[in-house]
Amino acid sequence: MRVSVDVGGTFTDVIVLDEDSGDIQLDKVATTPANPAEGVLQGFDKVGAQTQQIEYFVHGTTLGINAMLTRSGAKVAFVTTRGFRDIYVLGRTDREPMYDFKYKKPKSLVPRSLCFEVNERLNYKGQVLHPLDVDQARAVAQRIVAQGVESVAVCFLHSYANPEHELAFERVFQEVAPEISVTLSHRLSRVYREYERSSTTVIDAYIKPITRSYLTRLNSELVDGGFDGTFLMTRSGGGAMTLDTAREEPAHLVLSGPAGGVIGGAYLGKLIDLPNMITVDMGGTSLDASLIADGEPTVENEQVFQTLPISVPTIDIHTIGAGGGSIAWVDEGGHLQVGPQSAGADPGPACYSKGGQEATFTDAALQIGFLDPNNFLGGEIDIDPALAEAAISRLSGQLGMGAQEVAAGIVSILEAKMAGAVRVISVERGYHPRDFALCAFGGGGAFVAANISRELGVPLAIIPPGPGNFSALGMLMVDVVHDYARTHITGLVDMDPAQANQVYTELAAQGQSALASDGFGADRQQYLPSAEMRYRGQEHTVNIPLPGVTLSTDDIPLITERFHAAHLQQYGHSMMQDPIEIVTLRLRAVGLLPRPDLARVAAGSGDLAAASRGTRMVYDRASRSRIEYQVYDRMKLGAGDSLSGPAIVEEPSSTTMVHSGDELSVGEYGELQIKVAQEGDGGS
Amino acid sequence: MSGLDLITTEVIHNYLLSAAREMERNLMRTSYNTIVYEIRDFGLGIYDRHCRLLAEAPGLAIFTRGNDYGLKKTVEFIGEENMEPGDLLLTSYPYWSSAHPMDVLATSPIFACGELVGYTAIKLHWLDLGQKDPGYVLDSVDVFQEGLIMPGLKLYKAGVRDEEIYNLIRFNSRLPDRVIGDMNAQVSACRTGERRVSELVEKFGTALFNQAVEAILDHGERVARARLAALPKGTWTAEDWADDDGVDRDIMLKLKCTVTVTDDEFIVDWSGSHPACRGPMNLPIGLTEGVSGLAFKGVSTPDLPANDGHYRPLRVIAPPGELMNALHPSPTFFIWTGILAPEVVCKALANGMPDRVQACSGGDIFTVMGLGMHPETGVPWLEATNEAVGFGAFAGNDGEDAIMHVSEPGCRNNPVEVLESKAPWIIETYHMRRDSGGPGKYRGGVGITRRYRFLHPSTVLTLVKKTKSAPWGMAGGHNAEVGHVIVWPDTEKQERTGAIYYQMDAEEVIQNNSGGGGGWGDPHERDPQLVLDDVVNDFISLDSARQHYGVAIDAQTLTVDEAGTAALRAPAPTGGA
Repeated sequence: MRVSVDVGGTFTDVIVLDEDSGDIQLDKVATTPANPAEGVLQGFDKVGAQTQQIEYFVHGTTLGINAMLTRSGAKVAFVTTRGFRDIYVLGRTDREPMYDFKYKKPKSLVPRSLCFEVNERLNYKGQVLHPLDVDQARAVAQRIVAQGVESVAVCFLHSYANPEHELAFERVFQEVAPEISVTLSHRLSRVYREYERSSTTVIDAYIKPITRSYLTRLNSELVDGGFDGTFLMTRSGGGAMTLDTAREEPAHLVLSGPAGGVIGGAYLGKLIDLPNMITVDMGGTSLDASLIADGEPTVENEQVFQTLPISVPTIDIHTIGAGGGSIAWVDEGGHLQVGPQSAGADPGPACYSKGGQEATFTDAALQIGFLDPNNFLGGEIDIDPALAEAAISRLSGQLGMGAQEVAAGIVSILEAKMAGAVRVISVERGYHPRDFALCAFGGGGAFVAANISRELGVPLAIIPPGPGNFSALGMLMVDVVHDYARTHITGLVDMDPAQANQVYTELAAQGQSALASDGFGADRQQYLPSAEMRYRGQEHTVNIPLPGVTLSTDDIPLITERFHAAHLQQYGHSMMQDPIEIVTLRLRAVGLLPRPDLARVAAGSGDLAAASRGTRMVYDRASRSRIEYQVYDRMKLGAGDSLSGPAIVEEPSSTTMVHSGDELSVGEYGELQIKVAQEGDGGS
Repeated sequence: MSGLDLITTEVIHNYLLSAAREMERNLMRTSYNTIVYEIRDFGLGIYDRHCRLLAEAPGLAIFTRGNDYGLKKTVEFIGEENMEPGDLLLTSYPYWSSAHPMDVLATSPIFACGELVGYTAIKLHWLDLGQKDPGYVLDSVDVFQEGLIMPGLKLYKAGVRDEEIYNLIRFNSRLPDRVIGDMNAQVSACRTGERRVSELVEKFGTALFNQAVEAILDHGERVARARLAALPKGTWTAEDWADDDGVDRDIMLKLKCTVTVTDDEFIVDWSGSHPACRGPMNLPIGLTEGVSGLAFKGVSTPDLPANDGHYRPLRVIAPPGELMNALHPSPTFFIWTGILAPEVVCKALANGMPDRVQACSGGDIFTVMGLGMHPETGVPWLEATNEAVGFGAFAGNDGEDAIMHVSEPGCRNNPVEVLESKAPWIIETYHMRRDSGGPGKYRGGVGITRRYRFLHPSTVLTLVKKTKSAPWGMAGGHNAEVGHVIVWPDTEKQERTGAIYYQMDAEEVIQNNSGGGGGWGDPHERDPQLVLDDVVNDFISLDSARQHYGVAIDAQTLTVDEAGTAALRAPAPTGGA
């Protein structure tokens, strides 16, 4: 039995997969913020998972990123080179709002009073200019302990080139305070730029104590319940890591939750032969967009979360404040705006009757008829359409537009913003959406999938089975992953393959030992080498897959061709005459887990009468009139069934919109496939 | 989609903003120059066919606004009727491009549905265009010493590169490889913007697109006018001084600004400023308009991405031939007058609306640039960084500590590890500058200190012009510590200075101290707990706490001595007299 649990801010999703039959059970319980482990165990009970039967337990959590957002992580001390106390607090000294002369930076994760200097210095080659002063370092360690610090982040200048001094400080610190965890920058990143590396280190240190205590507690409760299987955590960069690695390097857990949905998208795409897929996860407050090319999620080696940079490989997920709770408002110029503020879960949309006064996306969807007031979230929430109407009427008074028109406008504006978010991870990275399918999930994804696809020219939208729990489903499909990188600057044409092969021999040895200690035999290990390359003189690089870990000069033409093609694809030009250089050699070591099969659904009869729930009138912005939509129950559709828009397909956690001209068919795994009418086809 | 409505307008507006961001990413990721990819020394935007700004990306704010004028002049000179799809034009004639010749403006017409629908524009700092001195020019006396002049040259004609112009550029640069690499990045980013906008227009049709453009700009104007209506009305004047013009080193340059706020105009009048100067501190009018607009935007619509509509209430007056309106062939290379100018606009406003504007920031961008022949690679090196300043305090809060000047919001510092990897120098320290923020009820932000030791004979340039007149405080707040450069610190020949172009020997040192921001309000009214926090975090010294803030702090326990503080803050006994 394989179980996955995705702990989000509001709900904890649980999925159980019976590996013999392929059957899955899914459910959600409320997240228990004070002790998230409690919610996890409640979830097990609700789906009837027997702890002692679980072979693999895969877990994703937003615990880390929530601690960052709410500044509720550990009290961290930052330690750096003499003369550079402020490199973390200073950051890059930039700001996003261009014209705000009264700009205030977000609160630093570490106050200046907890930044310390150690006497030591390296140059950029890693040569020692001043040896580490052990006595002074010990005095610093004692001052740190006296401050009641819970976690320590160490980033010395040029430690990416030589980690010796960071390691020496760790030894000194552990003599003074073995109980306090220490994060060393070089273990997370071997790339220059002291602020970005410091920030990565601080994030790790900041979330380490809460992550450790949470994981330790959860694991011991599981073990007490008879759990004897493998405990894995999903990683920001894709794949999973073992519990032990997660406790050591929580920096890799920051996007642990959303990564599950992308992994699931990649897996589903392979099953149904759609290796190019855009994933869109729409919840109550935000939308996550990501892109899968040739079956692989796109990974960036540097990301910024809420102004905090992190330099570990991370799935390229772009998040915007657009969700069911996004608030509509009228600006001073008299234009309608939606978000980024959200009514969240409390008070939530006006129609929730929990005191929310402002019109949200959900209120608008209810007003125009997309949602059924009598069957909201499968009837679990009572809603009041009159409150939605009242909130929207206030806006229509300000705008001088009819309430229906305003409601339809709220939906259109938010859909345009969501399409913009998808553009960031597709068009802006050189991918054309017409070459992709769009896989939409989360509570609201199915609702906007067809229109976002149309806006971007995506021909096919996919609504996976159980869209409300899809991130958890994705977590069932992971392999164990370790990433390694080494700076290795050389011209491509005149490279010495023997040197590169030497680096790969060393990196592969690290990978082998890590995978072996995770319990993977040689037959379940896979190695994926790649190189970060650029035109000589450029700074930024493009990551190019290499043919193997043993290179020869015969491989150079192929690598050259791949680089030119990738540069052209991403940036719209290549410079065939210019010399290319390799900057960083990367190796991803993968421990392969048995791949579970998803169960196929029974074939449908082709007769939709049993699935029909009648009709609903929906306001259409283009024709400014109400149009009749057929309503169906997804649970009663079988593989091969098909229907045409305008139609609405309802299920307990989600509502799928199929507009005029769109064609929906049910795939063999129960996924809904919507062939989206393109603009100019005569559709809406 | 039938006719234009508010909703479609917002959809198109969002698309344009995302297209500008995409241009930015493309430029950053493919450039060859740390000044672009680390520091972000560029300004870019998307314009309509009448050269009105529709969307921009964060970078140098003074570049973006100056581009508006540069684009108009370029199109005027070449003629709209001579624009073809695939053209790409370069402008470095400073009186048009509104910057020095090394800040090259690239623009390309955007065609869709067979019509001209708009332009892209990107200004980028090129590392060398054959100007009189490598790196930067501090003392030119006319424009012909300032680098290659390109008056809207078509580098690409109908999509085909003109090899003669390409070679002209290549052979006029001391650093041809990096310049050509950056030029390609600039071209590629323009092309990205063209593609995105033409896709958008093809989708909606030119008629609807043009209506949406009017609606976006009118909306911008409405918001700006609503904000203008909320400002106090009146006329106020202020002055401040830049150090010198680079040629006459003993003459300070006066910037005099009179701001008039009426019901429907925001008038910035620079009459009474210094006459044209001999050195390169004169400002082209497009830049004067740009920096005046920057200050106006800061007090009216700071929260919105800029478009042309936001600037419609603005009128700028600058007598031709004076410091703020340079005429050919006046030297204009050293555009630092434009960095100080927005501060002076705010200083004038402070007389009429002290609760709405902030005190002076560090007032400069404190650039240090080094160059020479790299001893290990044998090729020329050139690296630079700008430095953060303290922001001015304002009613309600402290000025931010160590943040890039108001004129360069998107810019970033150059990391220590990058600077040391690329150039033969060691950075000895880089940290915040204690006690540099002006004391006040709300404290001015602190500046920074960065100290360089050269490992090899090199040239050093410091680009700093506010070292003589202190960043002012407001409403009883104190002035901040002025920024400056110290050459050969802690030696007999130590020199405290501003802009220099010096040769340094191995092991010689230079220290850059950026300015703090002015304080706001009487420092004796500052909450003693906040003063204590500042001491604990080392932003101010114990001495400053006592002397300026009247707060006594026990140095051992780090607690406020209430009685001691009350005594320090008691009004001085008034004498008989």
